Amino acid sequence: MQALCSVGKRIPKIDAVDKATGRAQYIQDLKLPGMLYGKILYSKYPHARIVHIDTSRAKQLPGVRAVLTGADIPEIKMGVYKDNRPLKVGKVRSYRDEVAAVAATAPHIAREALNLVEVTYEALPGIFDPEQAMQAGAPLVHEEHKTNVLKMPWKLHYGDVEAARKEAAFIVADRFTTTWVTHCCMGTSGAIAEFDPANNLTVYSNTQIPSLAQKDFLEALKAMGVQDRRVRVIKPCIGGGFGSKLDTYAYEYIAILLAYHTRRPVKVEFDRTEEFSATSTRQPTITYISQGCDKDGKLLFRDVSMILDNGAYTSWGATTPSVMMMPITSLYRVPNVRYEAKCVYTNNTYAQAMRGYGNPQATYAIESTMDMLAEAAGIDPIEFRRINANKAGDVSIQGLRITTCGLEECMAVVKDQLAWDRPKEANEGVGMASLIHVGGGARVYKSDGCGTIIKMDDFGKVDLFTGATDMGQGSDTVIAQIVAEELGLHIEDVHVIHTDTDVCPWDVGAHASRTTFVAGNAALGAAKKIKARLLELGAKQLESPLEKLILQDRQIRHREDAEKRIEIGKLLRKTHFSHAGQMLMAEYFYDPTNENMGRDFRGNMSMTYTFGTHGVRVKVDDETGKVRILNYVAAHDVGKAINPMLLEGQVYGGVMMGIGYALSEQVILEKGENMNPNFRDYKILTAKDVVPIAAPVLETYDKDGPFGAKGIGEPGCVPTAPAVANAIYDAVGVRIKDLPVTPERVLAAIRAKKGLDLCGRELSQDHPDECVIQQ
Amino acid sequence: MRKFTYLVPKTLDEAISLHEARGERAKYIAGGTDVLVKIKEGKLAPDYLISLKHILSQDRPFLNNETGELYVGAFMTHRSIEKSPLVQLHYPILHDAVKNIGSVQIRNVATIGGNLVNAVPSADGAIPLIALDGKAHIYSAKGERTMELLRFFLGPGQCDLGRGEILTEVVIPPQRPRTGSAYMKHGRREAMELPMLGVGVLLSLEEDLNTCAQARICLGVAAPTPFRALMAEKFLVGKAINAENLAEAGRIAGDESRVRDSIRGVAWYRREMVGVLVKRMGLKALERAENKAEGGRLTV
Ligand SMILES: Cc1cc2nc3c(=O)[nH]c(=O)nc-3n(C[C@H](O)[C@H](O)[C@H](O)COP(=O)(O)OP(=O)(O)OC[C@H]3O[C@@H](n4cnc5c(N)ncnc54)[C@H](O)[C@@H]3O)c2cc1C
Repeated sequence: MQALCSVGKRIPKIDAVDKATGRAQYIQDLKLPGMLYGKILYSKYPHARIVHIDTSRAKQLPGVRAVLTGADIPEIKMGVYKDNRPLKVGKVRSYRDEVAAVAATAPHIAREALNLVEVTYEALPGIFDPEQAMQAGAPLVHEEHKTNVLKMPWKLHYGDVEAARKEAAFIVADRFTTTWVTHCCMGTSGAIAEFDPANNLTVYSNTQIPSLAQKDFLEALKAMGVQDRRVRVIKPCIGGGFGSKLDTYAYEYIAILLAYHTRRPVKVEFDRTEEFSATSTRQPTITYISQGCDKDGKLLFRDVSMILDNGAYTSWGATTPSVMMMPITSLYRVPNVRYEAKCVYTNNTYAQAMRGYGNPQATYAIESTMDMLAEAAGIDPIEFRRINANKAGDVSIQGLRITTCGLEECMAVVKDQLAWDRPKEANEGVGMASLIHVGGGARVYKSDGCGTIIKMDDFGKVDLFTGATDMGQGSDTVIAQIVAEELGLHIEDVHVIHTDTDVCPWDVGAHASRTTFVAGNAALGAAKKIKARLLELGAKQLESPLEKLILQDRQIRHREDAEKRIEIGKLLRKTHFSHAGQMLMAEYFYDPTNENMGRDFRGNMSMTYTFGTHGVRVKVDDETGKVRILNYVAAHDVGKAINPMLLEGQVYGGVMMGIGYALSEQVILEKGENMNPNFRDYKILTAKDVVPIAAPVLETYDKDGPFGAKGIGEPGCVPTAPAVANAIYDAVGVRIKDLPVTPERVLAAIRAKKGLDLCGRELSQDHPDECVIQQ
Repeated sequence: MRKFTYLVPKTLDEAISLHEARGERAKYIAGGTDVLVKIKEGKLAPDYLISLKHILSQDRPFLNNETGELYVGAFMTHRSIEKSPLVQLHYPILHDAVKNIGSVQIRNVATIGGNLVNAVPSADGAIPLIALDGKAHIYSAKGERTMELLRFFLGPGQCDLGRGEILTEVVIPPQRPRTGSAYMKHGRREAMELPMLGVGVLLSLEEDLNTCAQARICLGVAAPTPFRALMAEKFLVGKAINAENLAEAGRIAGDESRVRDSIRGVAWYRREMVGVLVKRMGLKALERAENKAEGGRLTV
């Protein structure tokens, strides 16, 4: 094979300068002529009947162009379960429920108008705990649904768990919980909607799913009685996604409805408070898990049941069990697996996709109990995992076909780089956890495809139109590298356009760590077509056999005869400006041959799987409960690093997101109300909190990936929490089973272990309440 | 955000008369890192903001060589205090506090005066200045008055300033010989973090460099205002400074605290941390006192 020129190189993101210098245009920067500003009025209650809404005073405010409530709009059903509407009718079910919306000539007028909308509520009893919500007599969040438990049967049983349980020499069982955390995108959400006179709709939106959003908006138009019109989705520069933009949201429909009513472009843009309180979180979980192994440490079964707090409505959070199944059935070799998840309505906020899509929650429970089981069996935790490690060629019990697998190597690298066996100081500990994730697309939708169109100009430059979405992760750069490599061009010769559904082909969305793999393969497919044509033309021009020619450094060259060469641009001009001239264009639609899950949830969801192991060394302050991370090693089998610099960026960012998840981040909901909708009290980690991270990369060269690559977008935050929790256990002997692992929880556990109460006194019958502090 | 008029007086008297003429509708602004946040949140809606940043004054802490007093001007930024070698060397407790406020960007604009006047229980700047026995100097049309900084704080967000009054500086009396001091903010992050608890300890030693001659233990977020744990201080005086006695002082200080549950921390944990941090800051203060057994009157 020819030496690589672009692929495998540490090339800075092609939009880095624009972003660093402020030239990049985000939704915040966009303004259309005549544009109005939309604002949303949210519920004052977590659960209440809407008795009456009086908008008359708001409508009279000068500058107000429209005030809408649920009564003014057609029934537009949103979300995977179609249980949500842009503006609520009859009832509110959470604090983030949209009750009214205003369009005005200036943002402050719109805000003022919201204060003039008078809503009369009749409060209803709320339900905030999913386990209570499952009980008979609990208030119903959706009366017509008859029960708070969603009719989504996440249930599988492969092999025979009960029989295996009887055989097991060692069994551990426990309960783990995870809570709400949020994406914290730097760019807040926003959309602009505009209708042309014929009612064709253009939506500028921060979305990770331009093609699916287009379809959702078309359905909304249909509900509005606007038939057979076009919808165009334009993405401005996106300031972070992490899954948050994987659905369409009330605010987007509200922008559309307001634009329709006012006949003017309308922008709805979230401020930071709204971004915290009115966007969806990661899916919180309650997990009951047991695992057992034989006397040699071979896993015999895994039995998991989960309760998911669905919140008041249903977005992709409720479908995260589909991805949780992957680690539950297939992280390590497990012959017998049972899994069941129930999604339960409550009056809390509702959850969405977030980096890892359920995998971090499941892996927290799995990898914590793996350590517990290793201890019960008296086997070193790394050795225990090695005994059970997946291997290339395995087909897991769920039917996942593992083509390449660097799991054992990842564990070995972590062990080595973390100096696992080094003597430890007091209260110092090491822990590790591994991951499996989809690395070759994920067939969760009917298509997992992505299209690409390439157009060559007269100067040897490429315009590439892709369905992919660059939301900061750097897919434009990676795609440009792949195409530049294939066509022998420089990366700056490739202009990637991904922003407009009018010109870009279809793509299912930027999710499941699939963009490098799927959009990369799509781009490669189109580039191969162009390459074939270029070689053909070159062969004719240079009067050489095609097999002797290569594309390199913007030229077509003869391998052996240095005299025989031509600039690609020159060749293109010759081809264009001649009799019966031609220009080079190509299209390619790549849809991986992965499988949708069957009724029993079996199926090879992804073309290939990414593996990784994270190891961490911590020091626990046993007086304060604070956990300090001394060193972190995150090793991944990525197939091939197309751009090692961007890859490391993904891993560093993922690890910091994971450490925040493990130790500090939490959306605090009190009876459904967001108590910390700001960066002061939402403890996302800062630049100064960044820990030393090593990100060793293993290249297993996957035959299906572009240049051998597998996806790596999400894995960085998947096994972080259990790795940290395992290290804490190693350091001070307490196992924290609830995220985040706050100093309070650690200190309480340390004291409980010593037989002390929270205040450090001997537990005794005489003064059980002594350390309760009177308010 | 509401529109406002921004006024830029060059002298204290000018600032005061601008304020007087506008009364309730006016608000002073220094770095604006509290006041602008409140305006954006709609908690304040002044028509006039009167900047204090252009009033001619010293821009870094300085020592009065006659009296040995340290002058910390209200309009000084946290960053200029942090960068002051004088503070770094001789008032480490103040350095401990200001160097961890917000971020460099915040410290470059935010002032110590704004921090004190804003008067939240979590104000990092208040604790060390109280522990150093600072006196607040307050200026108004009626002239200047001074008061103990400790008594300046009346309640959460409330301080003893009349309308239009300006805090001009905090003056710190000379320290006793063999004095050491330390402050720590307890939080979850390394930056951009309001303290869940702030603990400052100042200790002056007898000539044996062991017996406590004087102790000041000052706590933030442990009560509605910054306060001194007087019982704990009293306990230490005359005793040997060691981990055991400091732990006991910490326990007493914990009992003196009026901690409560909030989203930023639970009461039991805060109280426990008072104990731990009083001990740790005490040990640090001891170490610093020993290292600088000279102390006393400074010349720089
Ligand atoms: C991101 C961020 C992080 C922060 N981190 C911390 C932290 O870690 N610790 C901490 O303690 N604080 C922190 N703060 C709060 C704030 O920065 C400090 O309280 C700061 O010292 C306020 O000073 P300022 O000059 O900005 O005050 P301003 O906002 O200008 O003023 C605050 C108040 O004081 C009044 N005022 C100001 N100066 C005077 C004066 N000389 N006389 C009379 N009245 C006056 C103003 O009218 C106003 O009411 C943070 C703030 C932000 C935004």
